[in-house]
Amino acid sequence: MAVKRRDFARGALALGALAGTAIGGVSVRAEPKKGGTLVYASVSGPGTLDPHVASSAVELEVIHNLFEALVALDEKNATRPMLAAKAIASPDSKTYTFELRRGVKFHDGAEMTSADVQASMERYRKVSPNARNLADVARYETPDPYTFVIHLDKPNVVLLDVLKSPIFPFMILPASQKDKPARDIEVIGTGPFSLAEWVKDSHVLIKRFDGYVPDTSAPGRDGYAGRKTVYLDAARYRFIPEATTRIAALQTGEVQLASSIPSELRQRIEDRKDLAIREVFPIGGTYVIVNSQFGLTKNVLIRQAIVAAIDISEITDATGGVNKPNPWMSFPNTPYYPAAGTPSPWYDVKDPAKAKALLQQAGYKNEKIIIETNSNYQWMRTTMLVVAEQLKRAGMNVDVRVVDWTTNAAHMQQGTGEWNLSTTLFGPDHILGPQQWRPMIYAFPSIKGNDTLDAAYAAFFAEPTLEGRRAAWLRIQQEVLGNGYMVKIADSGRLSGYSHKLKGQSDYPGILQLWDLYLE
Amino acid sequence: MGRLIAFKVLQAVPVILIVSILAFLLMTLLPGDPAVIIAGDQASPEAIEKVRVSLGLDRPFLEQLGVWLLNLAQGNFGSSLMLNQSVLSAMGERLPVTLSLAGLSLAITLPIGIFVGALAAYYRQSWIDSAVMVIALIGVSVPGFWIAIMAVILFSVMLGWLPSSGFVPLTEDPALWLQSMIMPAAMLSLFQIGFLARMTRSAMLDVLSQDFIRTARSKGLSEWMTVGKHAFRNALIMVITAMGILISTAIGGSVVIEQVFALPGVGRLVVQGILARDYPVVQGVMLIYGFAFVAINLLVDVLYTFADPRVRYD
Repeated sequence: MAVKRRDFARGALALGALAGTAIGGVSVRAEPKKGGTLVYASVSGPGTLDPHVASSAVELEVIHNLFEALVALDEKNATRPMLAAKAIASPDSKTYTFELRRGVKFHDGAEMTSADVQASMERYRKVSPNARNLADVARYETPDPYTFVIHLDKPNVVLLDVLKSPIFPFMILPASQKDKPARDIEVIGTGPFSLAEWVKDSHVLIKRFDGYVPDTSAPGRDGYAGRKTVYLDAARYRFIPEATTRIAALQTGEVQLASSIPSELRQRIEDRKDLAIREVFPIGGTYVIVNSQFGLTKNVLIRQAIVAAIDISEITDATGGVNKPNPWMSFPNTPYYPAAGTPSPWYDVKDPAKAKALLQQAGYKNEKIIIETNSNYQWMRTTMLVVAEQLKRAGMNVDVRVVDWTTNAAHMQQGTGEWNLSTTLFGPDHILGPQQWRPMIYAFPSIKGNDTLDAAYAAFFAEPTLEGRRAAWLRIQQEVLGNGYMVKIADSGRLSGYSHKLKGQSDYPGILQLWDLYLE
Repeated sequence: MGRLIAFKVLQAVPVILIVSILAFLLMTLLPGDPAVIIAGDQASPEAIEKVRVSLGLDRPFLEQLGVWLLNLAQGNFGSSLMLNQSVLSAMGERLPVTLSLAGLSLAITLPIGIFVGALAAYYRQSWIDSAVMVIALIGVSVPGFWIAIMAVILFSVMLGWLPSSGFVPLTEDPALWLQSMIMPAAMLSLFQIGFLARMTRSAMLDVLSQDFIRTARSKGLSEWMTVGKHAFRNALIMVITAMGILISTAIGGSVVIEQVFALPGVGRLVVQGILARDYPVVQGVMLIYGFAFVAINLLVDVLYTFADPRVRYD
């Protein structure tokens, strides 16, 4: 089965086959002007620009402008070729053949070939924390400079979804970087910008790559892919950790774009005629995590009592920010989002009486339920304080403990520490789908020995049709959310501030994309 | 003098050793795992374990301590877990920023703090004294981050006089360097001016009530000579003590100021190191700050002997 440019989303392998309306469209703009340096205020600087090991937003918002992948997310979050001209999957889904675009240049002037793709794949499998998703890869082939073939041990119908991930992105590096250890590459990509200067903790300067070869098969930009046109001469990322100073830099005209504006400070920007706020939505989903391997919450009835006690609007009213209710673990308008009307009886139950009945059924004897939150993120702390009050209202004895985020995160990821409930935000999993969700689902609530979940995931990976995989994903969500391993709160976004001098922004809520932007 | 310096250096050795062990203990006993930070929020337990092993964080605690002390003895402060570079090189890149900030701050603090302190002492119990002491009290009481944010809003947003943040190296453009550093340095100085003015006032009040000042005045010496030469020289020893503390607080206070004004200095490095559990960075910075403070105290001890010939250590 061949998957080509605009037809890519129609293939059985493409996530976008069932996508409805676009999350966002390209803003209307008139006569873009070439030139100028955009100054962007970011919260902090990247620790690394090695795409194969990068997962934080501050790293990825530089990386996605310097490097490109074989395939990428389009604006409907479907898979679209980027450095590949087309991808062909064998009928048994055990062989994937990528035909590469010709004439694509690296920043050092060398042409990208299949040898570079193979070297990148080999390096990725060695250094990337996401390499486990390529465990099925048996071998590769490069029959000619423009063809790359992946052979799998067993069928994997979602391989392209793994390759399009915007976190730990499988970007193509020159073959010379193959043996470079993690975080130690020369920053050479095929992206529309090249690295000019990086002063740690101060700024990154990237400049337009005049040798960039755009994907001319697309009429314009399309999510992370499509035809990328660069109008800016350069972009300077300035790292300003303090929100007030970031806003001040925007107000004084020192920067034209500023990230992560706290909702309580948005008025300072909205009060100015020359500035505006952009709601970047959705970027993730917020969840209460329930530790299924510790104390009381081992008991499914206790977990369901917690689910019954939660009132979503109380939480989102208290935390503020950009939130919209959504009971599911996929964003609306993405391929795995359930059909309208699919019941979600676990969501926003806000029924203390039901919670009390479940507690009684579980034989609850006023034992402590430990909530762990952290001192670093206000919204997490507020969320858990509201949850604590809701559980108390349902008759539970709650103990709130505050630690730092690194401890809190480590406890959730590793299932260590003494806690029953905590909270976090999951980002791209909502777009990338069930295969990307799998490690999170098992790790955060410490799910072990759940045959229903294991069977549903096995069915997901074996299922050749998207419809079948959607059904398996629904069963997975019913198990995870219905049995209170996690409690979905809402889809959430973030605010950025910008000057009206900056034109050409897209509504697509992806990681910062500097192509097609221009300064008036 | 040689004996004094040798004695002080010898005294510093156990201090440095204790500081280094405390730094190591402090960071390793804190909960949290740098492997989780480095691998990222989305990483699987296997990926986190892979990072932990590659960084040697899976080794026993005593082995980690031993390796670190051994490396330290060889001048190797280790490599940052996050930055992929040695701690010394990471600090070396950022030290000019912090030294710029601390140096300019002291250049503002010393003349103003000493002058207003002496003025308050000379005009004691007048409105000048009260005004200086109220301002000094505000200077030492108001939180640094708050006054820094207020300064950004006033001088950058409302008046448009100065850039809100950022750093230009002195070697690149001295005028822009001054423009970028004057507000952070002034904000860092507020606490120090208050502290120094109070110390100077107190020392000058002591001296101005001495018999030799009365004698100087009785024999018809000008007021400028009496206060400026005789009184101030005698009050200087207290001011030198205060200077040692000031330099230390300038380096320590730079942590907050660098954060607010987005200055890429050592203070910001250490904050990021703490948040990311980058043990070698935090340990290295603590240790080098420990060295610096010991050196400053040594310098103060030596300066005493010049300021007051009565002071002898033998």
